[in-house]
Amino acid sequence: MRLTNIAMGNLKRRKLKMGLLVLGLVIGVASIVGLFSITKAMQEDLANKIDEYGANMLIVPDNDNVSISFGGITVEGVGQVKDFDMSIIDKMRTIKNKETLNIISPKLLADDSINNKQALLVGVQFPEELRLKKWWQINWIAGKKAPTAGEVLVGSEAARVLELAPGNTVKIKGQDFQVAGTIQPTGSSENDSAIFIDLATLQKLTNRPQAVSLVEAAAFCYTCPIFEVTSQLQEKLPGTKVSALKESVQNRDDMVKKFGVFALAVSGIIMIIGALVVLISMLSSVKERTREIGVFRAIGYRKSHVIQIVLTEATILSLIGGIIGYLIGMSVASAFGSVVAQMDVKVVWQPLLALYAIGGAVVIGVVASAIPAWQATRLDPVEALRFI
Amino acid sequence: MGLIEIRDVHKIYTGGEGEVHALKGISLEVQEGEFLAMMGPSGSGKSTLLSVMGALNPPSKGSMIIDEIDVYALDSERRADFRHEYIGFVFQQFQLIPYLTAMENVMLPLAISKRTDKEQREMAQLVLEKVGLGNKALRLPNQLSGGEQNRVAIARAIVNQPPIVFADEPTGSLDTKTGQEILELFQTLNNEGLTIIMVTHNTENLDWVQRVAFIRDGSLEKIQVCKPRLA
Repeated sequence: MRLTNIAMGNLKRRKLKMGLLVLGLVIGVASIVGLFSITKAMQEDLANKIDEYGANMLIVPDNDNVSISFGGITVEGVGQVKDFDMSIIDKMRTIKNKETLNIISPKLLADDSINNKQALLVGVQFPEELRLKKWWQINWIAGKKAPTAGEVLVGSEAARVLELAPGNTVKIKGQDFQVAGTIQPTGSSENDSAIFIDLATLQKLTNRPQAVSLVEAAAFCYTCPIFEVTSQLQEKLPGTKVSALKESVQNRDDMVKKFGVFALAVSGIIMIIGALVVLISMLSSVKERTREIGVFRAIGYRKSHVIQIVLTEATILSLIGGIIGYLIGMSVASAFGSVVAQMDVKVVWQPLLALYAIGGAVVIGVVASAIPAWQATRLDPVEALRFI
Repeated sequence: MGLIEIRDVHKIYTGGEGEVHALKGISLEVQEGEFLAMMGPSGSGKSTLLSVMGALNPPSKGSMIIDEIDVYALDSERRADFRHEYIGFVFQQFQLIPYLTAMENVMLPLAISKRTDKEQREMAQLVLEKVGLGNKALRLPNQLSGGEQNRVAIARAIVNQPPIVFADEPTGSLDTKTGQEILELFQTLNNEGLTIIMVTHNTENLDWVQRVAFIRDGSLEKIQVCKPRLA
């Protein structure tokens, strides 16, 4: 027999009390696990939304005299827009955090009169642009997935005004192009009003070889240091204005952060309550077992043996509470996470969270039981056995 | 020199009602293999003396030597080790752990030793058979009679093979016949060399002991040599 058997035996004897203690721990751990996993899922959902949104950085010439708008810059006459050189892309790849630059999509802005109406032409590298604008819904010519150099994509508003549809031919700068597809309304007037054309082709047609009006870029992830990246880019690209995206998605980021702080605060309170529940239960258990502890001490148990018995009990209870709490917390978060977060979140089972939850429960249980354990060692065996 | 020597032991309790002088300079020597009874009226200090002699209750003044060890010169943890090695207790209400079987109760002193589980079980089974409970090893205390619980308590006291056993009113809660059986068991153990010191207020129990120390008002009134009955 070992001291663990004594601890186990006592737990079995006090099934109801110990069951209630475990229940308290389960509720605490489940609440914390639920809150954290939902917060995490919200953060990941947000990250996906940002990635989906595409660009999170915009590089434009540092020019105050512009008034037509695209992607945050406005130009009076597109011809007045100060251009970059294509070499800007190579320079961008030399920043310290270059590995976070996922997509770089250079653009050349131009204008032309089509069907007697002024139209905005945006030269893009289609593969990069389509990766960046994953959310575009395009009505393609049947079987088409990407435009060639002789084809264009037309924004919804431009298609309406210019009466263009997939498969039509449109003359731009004297050259015929086929409309490979029309982009469904995006909510962005800039995209909706533009005609997207192959960058190299537009450079050639406008006689501005290697010219780039602006660059949209996407840093790869939600957690990457976006403001550091913009700062590094600004340093490498003098004469430009590099700005991080400020969109509604960032408001949601603020909301998620606030939820995270709330979750942390609630978790802190739950942990304190959990520790108090353990403390009170174990104090009561030690008091009820005064005589028993007196017997242990009388037959030669050291103080450390008594501490070991009390802490073993606390560890077993906390371990059970932690495991069940984690399982229930994750199950509830999986089932009701979207309802709680008021957004479509997918809760993922995380082994690391299990480790933290169970480990945390055990640490709280053991720390909270330190006082009862210490009290148990202070029991005078003579008093405990009422020898006198 | 005796196995146990107490010299001028005083015990003073300080409480709300002022000082209580529970032991007033008791000196006593117990020989190895002796069966000694301590007798006296309630409140005479006999149980206090037992707790002092059992290395549980440091005296306010005086000393106690067991096997040439000044017991109260040891710190409390070393004294716990000393109790583990030298002393077995049979408590007044047996004080068995209710959620452990008879076997497990007997194994309690062994649980903090380095003996394997198998060795512990063998030792516990052996002493349970010795006290006549070999077939009731797996019963819980509440499934045993008072006499049987007392036997389990005795088995727990001797399983570690200590040289001394202290028993506080071991027959107090038993009927006469069961009480006699317990005393017979004590005498058998004493015949095997175990030193036994027993607190009792029952004069019939004196038939089994070699000496009796009469305690009154915290002092040793007299020591009487007895001729123990044969079991």
